[in-house]
Amino acid sequence: MKQAGVFRHAAVRLLGLIPTLLVLITIAFFLIRIAPGGPFDAEKVLPPEIRANLDANYHLDEPLLQQYFRYLGQIVTGDFGPSFQYKDWTVNELIARGFPVSATIGGLAMALAFVLGTLIGTFAALKQNSVIDYSVMGVAMLGISIPNFVVAPLLILGTAVYAGWLPAGGWDWSWQRMVLPVVTLALPVVAYIARLTRGSMIEVLHSNYIRTARAKGLPERQVIRRHAFKPAILPVISYMGPATAALITGSVVIERIYSIPGLGSYFVQGALNRDYTLVLGVVIFYGIVIVVLNFIVDLLYAWLNPRIRYDEAQ
Amino acid sequence: MHSPLKRFCAVILAGLAVVVAAPVLHASEILRGLGPEPDSIHIHQAQGLAAVNLLRDLREGLVTFDERGDLVPGQAGSWEILDDGKRYRFTLRENARWSNGDSVNAEDFVRAWHRAFTPETAAATAGLLKDVVNASEVLKGVADVGSLGIKAVAANVLDVTLAEPAPWILEILAHPVSYPLHSSGMDDPLRAPVNGPFLLVDWTPRASIKLTRNPHFHSTDSMQVDSIEYFPIEEPAAELSRYRAGELHITETIPAGRFKWLESNKKEDLRVYPYLGTFWLGFNLRDSTLGYSTELRQALSLAINREILVKTVLGAGELPGWSVVPPGITGYEPARMEQSEWSQQQREQEAVRLFEASGLGRDEPLLLELRYNTSGIHRRVAVAVAAMWKQVLGVNAELINEEWKVFINNRSMGVVTQVFRGGWIADYADPSSFLDLFLGDNSMNYNFYRGADFDMLMKSAAVASGRSRMELLQQAEARLMQDMPIIPLYYYVSRHLVRPEISGFAENVRDVHLSRYLGVKSESP
Repeated sequence: MKQAGVFRHAAVRLLGLIPTLLVLITIAFFLIRIAPGGPFDAEKVLPPEIRANLDANYHLDEPLLQQYFRYLGQIVTGDFGPSFQYKDWTVNELIARGFPVSATIGGLAMALAFVLGTLIGTFAALKQNSVIDYSVMGVAMLGISIPNFVVAPLLILGTAVYAGWLPAGGWDWSWQRMVLPVVTLALPVVAYIARLTRGSMIEVLHSNYIRTARAKGLPERQVIRRHAFKPAILPVISYMGPATAALITGSVVIERIYSIPGLGSYFVQGALNRDYTLVLGVVIFYGIVIVVLNFIVDLLYAWLNPRIRYDEAQ
Repeated sequence: MHSPLKRFCAVILAGLAVVVAAPVLHASEILRGLGPEPDSIHIHQAQGLAAVNLLRDLREGLVTFDERGDLVPGQAGSWEILDDGKRYRFTLRENARWSNGDSVNAEDFVRAWHRAFTPETAAATAGLLKDVVNASEVLKGVADVGSLGIKAVAANVLDVTLAEPAPWILEILAHPVSYPLHSSGMDDPLRAPVNGPFLLVDWTPRASIKLTRNPHFHSTDSMQVDSIEYFPIEEPAAELSRYRAGELHITETIPAGRFKWLESNKKEDLRVYPYLGTFWLGFNLRDSTLGYSTELRQALSLAINREILVKTVLGAGELPGWSVVPPGITGYEPARMEQSEWSQQQREQEAVRLFEASGLGRDEPLLLELRYNTSGIHRRVAVAVAAMWKQVLGVNAELINEEWKVFINNRSMGVVTQVFRGGWIADYADPSSFLDLFLGDNSMNYNFYRGADFDMLMKSAAVASGRSRMELLQQAEARLMQDMPIIPLYYYVSRHLVRPEISGFAENVRDVHLSRYLGVKSESP
């Protein structure tokens, strides 16, 4: 892969980020405003004078377009503004506190899923159509189909409530509290990666260059490791971009069941509370993460697949 | 011999031992669930129940609550009620101190109130002090904050002046919005002194809040517990798991639908107490059909079998509701509808009679929309009510389920609503906290009920006092039940799980359980 090509590619991709984000911000900004109700609507109606003071404090009394441009001006300086719901925090602080938690759990889950998934997938591919293949893939299929809001309570009941091995939830950065959420989050991804790997591994194993490698008398382990593995995980890599983005930005289900202070709940809670600034902040942040991860996936892809070279594509 | 392998095994085993060991709850530390993350730990921003409960452990107002939720002297050691209930004179305790040792002065209260009422503070709860002289003028910015009805008469004497007598004001003085502010002007409990039973030691948002006993608190000697750890747990099911795993002493609630299981498996831990709240269905009286006929509304009310509703649909100790004001307010007997004494069969016969008297019949079935905000309980109640209406009156009810903000928006607009979920939890233990909602000019009167008699009775109650006030309020409530702008369905209960060794968690209609009264009974397993 030639250096200049990579840099040019990177620059184009990063520049492309700006209009993408602008469209994203604009749609998100007006969409959440179209939703009925506002951040200060509650069971108890506020006295009009207090409501007026609150609106003025958050500039909600200004025309919508003016608020939009005020918001754009604010984001350029990297300021997402104060949260409506969590009044002691700015959105920047909430993201800064929530993201490390979600990224840790999501990152660990993805690492676990990648290792287990590719191993299982490769194994199944090597024993194609055998009993082992069917049973392993059958279990994987279960992993995809059982939703995590079923798996998680069962895990809690077994390992925390009855056995007492692990805490039932909460967060203090200890590994004990990470085990269950990481496993729950990883299970469906393991299954998905295993299926992807198996499929493409079978295809690769039938290709001519593998036959050549075998004909040269290479041991099967080397054939797999040196020649088959890299091309076989290509579909896994392209799946991992958006999947990692989804995992490290937090899952609302996991966070609620295990009481974890990650980013995922902000997205849902923010929308339900009409916490305008929080929703927008998280949307923008999520957008950036996705674009960056897709970019990394592209680079990995080029490294793994000799057929893609960005300098040639230009 | 210390081979690396052995050492490695030892570390692993030690690790496992730590994991496997059952969680140990320390006697002097109590672990409590808090419900959702507090919306703020600042006295003028805190709104939600979680935040208010937390602040009640960190700070104290002129008045506070005892174990049973009754009002007792807080920072004020005593008070006099002057000028026919329009002026309250508080004398602060001699030993009322901030956590840095400074004494709490009358000036600290004045400072705090002035800040709460400054428009820039935008304190959402300042409305609770609406009865204080000049409250709304100051909030609007048309009167100077100095004209607010609070004055430091001496270093330890404080006068609060009201525009009209408001006997419930004492309870408002126990709410964070009326707490004092230290002369540093800061109210962040992590940095500025507090005046309550506990100090805030550590706050990890959405994970844990640690408190420790404040040695300068006036009643610190009577406290048994040294520290409290609160866990904000949004999901009741998650809270239950953590309680069962031994990670909590007290939960904030129990998950809907687990009541029966808990009753047979954790009977000793289950604490279900009457709570000052009523669940009802509201009628939009602007609707041509519903607004037109009192008989129709009465019929719809009588057709609902509340006993079945509380026993089989809700089933967590709720009580059938026949009045707006729930029982449990000292000195007040709710004006229950006379039909509450009847058998359900009698009620249903009467329902049919009234229904026909309103000019409707089974031949042309009435179609009603029953609207509620998304929630398992609300849906089940709505389904049951619709079935009862269908069976007794032949009324077809269409269930409409809306997201919370959409629902409250529709309800306050009153354009599309017909019958809707409603209810109220007392701001303060006084019938007016419920009855005021139905005044013609109340912005929360989503029924658009305009009762001239009711308004008049409420007006006379406002200037009366003592027993005659309560009697007038009761007459107003009886009138309200005749006009039936709402159907009361049931009275709320508070629900907690409390480990048997915990003491000081007493039955109380306000559901206020200050941590300072809690303790651990001897050594229990």
